[in-house]
Amino acid sequence: MSIFEYNGSALIAMVGKNCFAIASDRRLGVQLQTIATDFQRIYKIHDKVFLGLSGLGTDAQTLYQRLVFRHKLYQLREERDMKPETFASLVSALLYEKRFGPYFCQPVIAGLGDEDKPFICTMDSIGAKELAKDFVVAGTASESLYGACEAMFKPDMEPEELFEIVSQALLSSVDRDCLSGWGGHVYVVTPTEVRERILKGRMD
Amino acid sequence: MMKLDFSGLESASSHFHGVDSELVEGLSRAPSFEIPNTTNFDGFQKEAIQMVKPAKGTTTLAFIFKEGVMVAADSRASMGGYISSQSVKKIIEINPYMLGTMAGGAADCQFWHRNLGIKALKKECEIEYINFLTYPMGEEFIGISHMFRCRLHELANRRRISVTGASKLLANILYSYRGMGLVGTVLPYYVDSEGGRLKGNRFSVGSGSPYAYGVLDSGYHYDMSVEEAAELARRAIYQATFRDGASGGVASVYHVGPNGWKKLSGDDVGELYYKYNPITPRMVEQEMAEAAEP
Repeated sequence: MSIFEYNGSALIAMVGKNCFAIASDRRLGVQLQTIATDFQRIYKIHDKVFLGLSGLGTDAQTLYQRLVFRHKLYQLREERDMKPETFASLVSALLYEKRFGPYFCQPVIAGLGDEDKPFICTMDSIGAKELAKDFVVAGTASESLYGACEAMFKPDMEPEELFEIVSQALLSSVDRDCLSGWGGHVYVVTPTEVRERILKGRMD
Repeated sequence: MMKLDFSGLESASSHFHGVDSELVEGLSRAPSFEIPNTTNFDGFQKEAIQMVKPAKGTTTLAFIFKEGVMVAADSRASMGGYISSQSVKKIIEINPYMLGTMAGGAADCQFWHRNLGIKALKKECEIEYINFLTYPMGEEFIGISHMFRCRLHELANRRRISVTGASKLLANILYSYRGMGLVGTVLPYYVDSEGGRLKGNRFSVGSGSPYAYGVLDSGYHYDMSVEEAAELARRAIYQATFRDGASGGVASVYHVGPNGWKKLSGDDVGELYYKYNPITPRMVEQEMAEAAEP
């Protein structure tokens, strides 16, 4: 199994009407053995920008710490929060710095930009940005996730419906993957609130 | 031109001298596989195996206790990281008194079991010659071939084959597939394709076996009741499916008693988790709705 499949992960970010949802599985494993069922993959950078990191767990944690550091410096200098587009460029640059010894992570960035317009993007492990208008996925179950999202996605969904769709897509995809699953973690973000929910999934 | 060794199957024809010649013809036509035209046969074989990667992603267990034998298995078939099926039958019903378990890659034992085993066994002496393109997904073929041999033995000697004999047969069949990572059990023997055959009281096979052994070894004693043993087997399989990524699906538990085997339960492991770990509602720190109530 490749290094990206060492820990196992599944991530989705999906766009709704003036809102977005970002969801991940909760398993941390060492190849086939499950070590933890409450591993955090989605991090809040600030109220309107969320970062999900799939791939090798240690690289995900280190990369997150570096990004938080850079964002805090930005906040001190500019006296404001980073826009999601800017944050995506920051992640991309940081990943490309390590072009010949990369972080084995695939980030998923989701945020509310100017006028609370939802923004999502994903990157490969060396920083190639991929912007999307509907959904982005990452992780060991990514092929199943693409299929499930493609089938279930509708434009302009309200937050409640978006939550349902994202949860169903995540759970049905990880049920076809040995290396991810064991529950789900979903954040639905609107301009006024952030709702965090834990999903009850198959624990096998 | 190399041929895989099927002498184990061929010897059956000698029993049927004097019987219908059509039948003998069908049996003595030795099955063979076409061998690939390559200079590096061993290397090619190795690559082919690696491609399919029979990762033995499974958990099966069996143990002997006072009331007989308990056999249990999960039902997941995986290919690397992908789950190809959550409903594979890994416990093979050799005859009403004998069960065998299989650990292997994505082999849909159920299909072949139905197609061949039952069909052939119902027609007493009529055995169909079936051409398999099995390599290396041979688990179902081995299961059926083993079943044939046991049944042939029974018909030839007018007496059911003994467990020792059945395990020896399976070991010999698996020996032709040496190095391909196949394992099975015919209780109370454990058989694998490196040629190993061990006798013992409890065995677990597959990638989830270390986790199952943990539960099995700590909860086992010889004089358990059937319910206790079933719960132990179920719990062991459940624990293995929780920890091992390549095991999952349905935990089936069979009991083999003096009157033959009986399937006791087939529980979906996803639901078993919440049965063993019921969710208690968490304490909420701020509950505005409650404060508003008079």
